[in-house]
Amino acid sequence: MNRLIWRIGGPQGSGVDTAANIFSDAIALAGYYIYGNREYYSNIKGRHSYFTVAIEDRPVLSVSDSIDILATFEPETVFQHFKDVRGVALYDKNVEGAKLDSMLFMEGETRKRAQELLAKHSYPETVKGAIDYMAGRGVDCIPVDYDAVLRRILSEVKLPPTIVDRSKNVIAVAASYGLLGLDKRYMIDALTSIFKKEEYVKLNTKAVEYGMQLVQPRYGMTGLEPQGHRLRVDGNSMSALGKLLAGLRLQTYYPITPASDESTYIEANQMLEVEGEGHQLKKYGVVVLQSEDEISAVNTAIGATLTGARAATATSGPGFCLMAEGIGWAGINEVPLVITYYMRGSPSTGLPTRSGQADLKFALNVSHGEFPRVVIASGDHPEVFHDAFWAMNLAEIYQTPVVHLVEKVLANSYSVIDDNELSYHTLRIDRGKLSRGGEGYKRFAITDDGVSPRAFMGSSKLIYTGDEHNEVGHITEDVDMRFVMFEKRMKKMETMARQIPDAEKLKTYGDIEHSDAVVLTWGSPKQATIEAIDMLAQEGIQLGMVQLRMFSPFPREAVRRLLGGKKMIIDVENNYTAQGAQVVTEQTGIEPTNYVLKWNGRIMTREEVYDALRRAAKGGTKRVALNGGV
Amino acid sequence: MAESERVMSDWCPGCGDFGILRAEDAAIKELGIPMERIVIVSGIGCSGKTPHFLNSPVSGVHTLHGRALPFATGIKMANPNLEVIVNFGDGDGLGIGAGHFVNAGRRNLDITVLLHNNGVYGLTKGQAAPTLKLNEKVKSMPSPNVNGEVNPVLLALAVGYTFVARAYAYDVIATKELIKQAVKHKGSAFIDILQPCPTYNDIETKEFYDKRVYKAEMDPVVKDQEDVAPKMLATISKATEWGDRIPLGLFYRNELVSTYEERISKSIPNYLTDPPASQRIETGGVPITLIDKLLSVKRVV
Repeated sequence: MNRLIWRIGGPQGSGVDTAANIFSDAIALAGYYIYGNREYYSNIKGRHSYFTVAIEDRPVLSVSDSIDILATFEPETVFQHFKDVRGVALYDKNVEGAKLDSMLFMEGETRKRAQELLAKHSYPETVKGAIDYMAGRGVDCIPVDYDAVLRRILSEVKLPPTIVDRSKNVIAVAASYGLLGLDKRYMIDALTSIFKKEEYVKLNTKAVEYGMQLVQPRYGMTGLEPQGHRLRVDGNSMSALGKLLAGLRLQTYYPITPASDESTYIEANQMLEVEGEGHQLKKYGVVVLQSEDEISAVNTAIGATLTGARAATATSGPGFCLMAEGIGWAGINEVPLVITYYMRGSPSTGLPTRSGQADLKFALNVSHGEFPRVVIASGDHPEVFHDAFWAMNLAEIYQTPVVHLVEKVLANSYSVIDDNELSYHTLRIDRGKLSRGGEGYKRFAITDDGVSPRAFMGSSKLIYTGDEHNEVGHITEDVDMRFVMFEKRMKKMETMARQIPDAEKLKTYGDIEHSDAVVLTWGSPKQATIEAIDMLAQEGIQLGMVQLRMFSPFPREAVRRLLGGKKMIIDVENNYTAQGAQVVTEQTGIEPTNYVLKWNGRIMTREEVYDALRRAAKGGTKRVALNGGV
Repeated sequence: MAESERVMSDWCPGCGDFGILRAEDAAIKELGIPMERIVIVSGIGCSGKTPHFLNSPVSGVHTLHGRALPFATGIKMANPNLEVIVNFGDGDGLGIGAGHFVNAGRRNLDITVLLHNNGVYGLTKGQAAPTLKLNEKVKSMPSPNVNGEVNPVLLALAVGYTFVARAYAYDVIATKELIKQAVKHKGSAFIDILQPCPTYNDIETKEFYDKRVYKAEMDPVVKDQEDVAPKMLATISKATEWGDRIPLGLFYRNELVSTYEERISKSIPNYLTDPPASQRIETGGVPITLIDKLLSVKRVV
């Protein structure tokens, strides 16, 4: 099947997310794969949020901005998205007269752009004008009398009008779902699993029935028989589950978007089922501590690791700034600290609810001084899970801070995956070199690989200090001790570089060896890039892809081998200065020939990457700046 | 003792830190708690070196400036069987670390917090610290203090410390006794330890304190909820007495407030028997945490 792009929008607080969840689950139940992306303002109620779902009969990795079905139930969504619709638009016929000028939550610049577009084509600045604009471009605009449907529902249920009115979102979903041709039962099953109260299930079942009656099926989707089990996963919970499986037992955090959802997920599921002695099931609790700030969050996590508990924290850019000093302490004290770093629009508060990849070099250089560190970056949801698990192992094996980079795009988007993509039964915990301590124990014993056996507080006398220290842990400024202790720590970088297989440090896609042109990327843009490469392959344009996954230690030789001598290297990143490429150049001397960059905070779509790669491959612009999204 | 374990105290002669160190060492010995269970957590500054200088074979964590409490919180929460004592200075604990001091009070973890209160930043050569009084000018300051002072006892009381006391570093025996009580107290215990800095504070000197300090006679123990307000008022009255006479001793003690450990135990019933630090996480490398049920919630087909 051709990919289908569905989008719903509405003011924050009006149930856009719930609507998208019901829709997504129904589609998944019908046997299709989806990728869903959530865009929202830093606002609690009122501002425009929207959710885009890409539907296919095979796994989907990205979304598009060209909309097949736009579901709306209020005017602003029409004004925000009318220019991007190519298939069907559902709208509230009772708001046809609503003026663009009265959309107070819409930002001035956004409003002005819509105004100019309508004026250019001589349409009035009303919902009707936007509808006519779309109709003039072949879009089928379907008016929905939401008020009539709501009145009908109200007469049939014993619920107050304010509650019934809230089912507008579900009517919109149902009407748009009705276009697909899929059986109603998938929608009913989906909403039954989402709404817990029976009265809400009843109410929304009616909303589904009457909503679906408003349209005729036209996409001919019939439902598929899925093989095996599938999961609908998001980045926040994938990271949480990876860490929990790895034995996370204490997590600290200070509230920040888009990182806190990970910690609240852990807290909501803090009583874990574990397999005790003799396969007996028992419960263990994970402590989740909401700190007074990120300085406290990082240092509390560090304190916890000293006792032998696997501990971690999760944050975003502003919080990571505050953690800098603590990370240095963890570095000099060889603390197995894991920080899940959800990158968002920056600098400063930047775009707090949007995405970005502009913090890579900050993560690589955070805190003053030199100490070993691991920086890894995930590119899709299964990777977030595996990398979260991996991070907990790396931290203990090499006794050093590990920064796991995830982006807002991955945190808040979700995808339907085959459950075997997680294949977690094969994962193994490695706690690294341990000691019981005792008489003569030296926490920082000089060793060949730089790693000293670690004892836990409570079992042995231990001394830690942020000052340079001797093997026992006491402060030293002795020349020779400083010399060897520093070298011992730094040696762990070489040990890591040697021991961690290249296959884990980077991934390739396509036939790199026989491609003259290779795409270089990392993090979430990998998703749209893979799909764009597939599209180009169908046109006879062959591109390979290298996805960097570990930036410290950097897989220098492997990257040299893969990229060396290539005629064209196209770098794709969600930032302005191509930070990943900068690291490649710094480490290997190899410089990309072309750049595809995006810093407007929005997800990279398949089409824009396809278009940019195509232009580059055909010898076009050296630097393409993407500005897609709403 | 190995060369790497021999550490010489490098405080100035006459420093109040020696009194605190002796009192703390003596308290630790007399408490009879197994040494491997005791962890001393300090910040940065002269007081920060306390864990390196103690004679007792206890663990020590010399952390970052102002951050002793977050580290202590992590250690105690991951392993509530440890006895955690925090040593920090007034610049450390009430200046750069003030936010942590306030929020630790709200939690009421079962830890002990010792404030080395000398009014100056000694290690950086005598700048004004948060407890130095307004308009005071100690000898290395170019001009008088333009900031008002923090009253540590009042602050501790206001933010929820359930054991609030004041000691004098040169009265080692009384300080030792207060430390022992503080460690035994169930909840966050705070002792404001007045301490001359013979090098930089030429106002609050040994002579200044010696003739002013006295042991306050009061009943500090809160007996029921109605008793909270009167006991707090009495503490405020004592804490604000500063001039010819400066009261010392235990001002306030309230064990009716739940500890953080007890609050955690409400959501994790076996928290105290199976805390994070003593939970097994694998058997022969195989994770023992079962995430199947959590994943099944995400199963769509």
